[in-house]
Amino acid sequence: MTSNSLVSINELKIDVRITKSLRLKIVDSATFDVERGQILGLIGESGSGKTMLCRSLVGTLGRRGAYIAGGDLVFDGIDLITAKPSDWRDIRGKRIGYVPQSALAGPNPVMTIGAQLAEAIEQSENHDKDYIRKRSLELLEIVQIRRPEIVLKQYPYDLSGGMKQRVMIACAIAQQPSLIVADEPTTGLDVTVQAEIMDLLKRIRSEFSTSIILVSHDLPLINDVCDDIVVMHAGATVEKVSSAQVSHSLHPYTRALYSSRIDLVEPKGQLVTIKGQPPTVGQWPSGCRFADRCDFVVDSCRSASTVPLVSVAQDHMTACLRFDQIGK
Amino acid sequence: MNELTRKQRFKNWLALPGGWGILIGTIMFAAIVIMGIVIPLFGPFKPNAFVGDPSVAPSFKHPFGLDQLGRDVMSRTFASVWIDIGVSFFGVTIPLIIGTIIGILLGVTKIKIIRSVVSSIIDGINAFPLLVVAVAMLAFFGAGLKSVIIILSITNWARYARIARTRAVVVSQQNYIEAARTLGYSKSRIVIKHIAPNVSAESVAYALSDFIIVITVISGLSFLGLAARPPAAEWGSMIADGRAYLANGWWMVIFPGLALCWAAISLSFIVEGMSRRDRGNS
Amino acid sequence: MKNQALRKILGRLVRAFSVSFWVMFISFTIIRLTPGDPATARLGVEAGKAATDALRKQLKLDVNPIQQFFSYTNGLFHGDLGISLQTGRPVLDIVKSTLPVTLTLILLSTAAAVIISIPIGTYIGWSGKSSSVYAFRTLTSIILATPNFFIAMIGILFFSVRVNWAPVFGYTPQFPGNLKYLWLPVAVNTLIMTAVVSRVLSSSVLETKGEEFVETGIIRGVGRIRFFWFYILKPSLAPTVVLLSYMMGTMLGATVILETIFTLPGIGREMIGAVLTSDYPVVQGILLFFGFITVALSFTGDLIAFWLDRRVKI
Ligand SMILES: Nc1ncnc2c1ncn2[C@@H]1O[C@H](COP(=O)(O)OP(=O)(O)O)[C@@H](O)[C@H]1O
Ligand SMILES: [Mg+2]
Repeated sequence: MTSNSLVSINELKIDVRITKSLRLKIVDSATFDVERGQILGLIGESGSGKTMLCRSLVGTLGRRGAYIAGGDLVFDGIDLITAKPSDWRDIRGKRIGYVPQSALAGPNPVMTIGAQLAEAIEQSENHDKDYIRKRSLELLEIVQIRRPEIVLKQYPYDLSGGMKQRVMIACAIAQQPSLIVADEPTTGLDVTVQAEIMDLLKRIRSEFSTSIILVSHDLPLINDVCDDIVVMHAGATVEKVSSAQVSHSLHPYTRALYSSRIDLVEPKGQLVTIKGQPPTVGQWPSGCRFADRCDFVVDSCRSASTVPLVSVAQDHMTACLRFDQIGK
Repeated sequence: MNELTRKQRFKNWLALPGGWGILIGTIMFAAIVIMGIVIPLFGPFKPNAFVGDPSVAPSFKHPFGLDQLGRDVMSRTFASVWIDIGVSFFGVTIPLIIGTIIGILLGVTKIKIIRSVVSSIIDGINAFPLLVVAVAMLAFFGAGLKSVIIILSITNWARYARIARTRAVVVSQQNYIEAARTLGYSKSRIVIKHIAPNVSAESVAYALSDFIIVITVISGLSFLGLAARPPAAEWGSMIADGRAYLANGWWMVIFPGLALCWAAISLSFIVEGMSRRDRGNS
Repeated sequence: MKNQALRKILGRLVRAFSVSFWVMFISFTIIRLTPGDPATARLGVEAGKAATDALRKQLKLDVNPIQQFFSYTNGLFHGDLGISLQTGRPVLDIVKSTLPVTLTLILLSTAAAVIISIPIGTYIGWSGKSSSVYAFRTLTSIILATPNFFIAMIGILFFSVRVNWAPVFGYTPQFPGNLKYLWLPVAVNTLIMTAVVSRVLSSSVLETKGEEFVETGIIRGVGRIRFFWFYILKPSLAPTVVLLSYMMGTMLGATVILETIFTLPGIGREMIGAVLTSDYPVVQGILLFFGFITVALSFTGDLIAFWLDRRVKI
């Protein structure tokens, strides 16, 4: 893989331990790279394994009984699969910032915003109080929170959803990490607030040249902000395409995700939703996992043993056997 | 064929969260009620008959032994079912009915003054621990089981009323109630047909756990000599009587105590099972 | 905001006062439940008119109810709860001399229950293993279904009858000496409270464990002790505190039985004595105190819960 990518994920597999002998496959072939200074959009329906993938980047899979079952996961030259607790201490917060899923439940409800920022700012270095306060105010200003002095003393309960999410972002960037993983940072927020958060992420990237993995299930929302888009379906990467080329996607699933919103904003048009349900986690059919929901399906889609991710153009990979038929 | 599906359906029901708890609790409860009917009616000894020497240890003839007056402890233990479970039943259902009705009316009434005054009376009654207010009232009513039922009726309704009021407010704001209102159904019809059934489900669920509390209160009051009085067979008062003979007559205390626990535990298994089913986890 | 929090607390205070009013009203009214006339009920019909009239006057039942309530509340504000019919002692004195024993009993049990429940509850909740949660819930529901007087009897059977570790009679009010008489009733209360408290704590910890913010704490590499307090215990504690304050009230009520069994000179046994001798002013006075203490407990519990966790509705 390209050696100077910040993150390089190859054929990553994540399993969950259900009982002593039973394992559930949650992710079974995730492949993509994140370049330095890039915003990468990770898209997929709920249940496709996005959150698990994010957790593998901060080493918290074990908490939920999950573990990496195979593949490569490299961050800035460090093999995260074999990382020791001491390695994690150096990575988490300092080099990878994490914005957990769900804005409303993100901040700790029993700590003031100030205390949480202080925790995010200092881990081992014993900065004095004044420094922490100054830095906290600075961070709140970066994420455009008004009246930061007051907010420092407040509890998450007193803040709106958008404010909470800004605080979480402030915590994530506190130690100027080279990568921010933002898991669905706009889910549950108002449309206008969603747009503001997108702007904020874009600004953070341009100001600090941070790489961002931006997870969402809303492709049209994040497409403008992202450089590259990676699409996950049923635990596998099905397409990687630059955001400019999304409208020329060569995977039917990506196309469906992209068009579902366009029709929403044009009331006259017919609402295109993706038909059917994704296959049950871990019980994926052989062949193409999207076959049952696809308009382009032919017999060979189902009979193929695997559907490989192939390069179809520069910076464009797709896992569709019939990509040459799509878009014609 | 039909038999098979019924068996299968039962198995499926059992596999749902809390299924085993409800089943075991129900069997345990049924068992003690049946014993409470069978032993006093068909058992060889009457609960208040003197059938042997005082304080005889358990034997084959008297599995639970004889008490300080030579009465058969087993007959007395199961004769108590009538009082403990029977009286508790009234001690639960009367407050359940009164409290639920008041609570529903409180939840739907538009008259603010009634709502706030009655609500704060409810809070006031609930401020006292149940056992304490029952004991205090017995000072004025005079001891006895009848007084206990009356007292439970005039105090315990407040807990039911609080639950019913909260629920009634929630239910009456639901869409289908609004719909019924716009369709011009009369208020009483809406309350009786739509609100009451919804609210009472929750109250009945609470009643089951209240049953445990009420059994404990009644046996506790009897233990203090304020509810069932000697020579009536009742678990609490049997335990109180046996207390003085604990050193060489443990069976006089332990068997009625175990029966009391059995009844309460069976109910608590049912309650636990039902709440697991509600929460939907295993 | 600060103001908002203050307003909530004030609102809760107002509610505590309004409930206290009803507590007072109920304690006042309760004597009226007597079938017929309280004075006759106590003295018997054969007592004669002069004696019943005198008692009625002593009980302040000789004027109209509104005046009665007025003089009753007026008396309360001056610390006058009436005089015992049995001993002639002021009720307030009786309360003052018996309440410390009861409070010692309750506070010791509460402290012990909290100390035991926190490790058990957090361990069971955090480990989250369904088999141990199941066993734990079954065990605690058995303890909770067992009446305190039966647990006390079993305790006496083992510790007073078999070995003489816990004397069932007597009491000394001095500190280390009283533990000899108190430890068994305290243990009974502690067992029950521990069952309730650790049960609620374990289910809130289990809930907290699944929350997203816990992930954040792990990722930040928060120190062990800090993590335990801010990310496990504190977010889970509010429901437990509310329940604990309620349970303290219930335990207070249960002392009427426990103090009778262990012949402890506390307020609960005093009340039973007063009930058995129809000592109306003492019954009313103690009932009032039970009510006030419960109101104060639940107010304090709500306040602490709110201080711990702003999400709490008070
Ligand atoms: N501890 C677990 N045990 C079993 N299944 C799990 C566990 N955690 C997550 N899953 C399952 O893994 C799948 C992927 O989860 P997730 O990564 O959260 O998806 P996404 O973030 O894309 O919505 C989901 O279907 C979820 O049910
Ligand atoms: Mg997710």
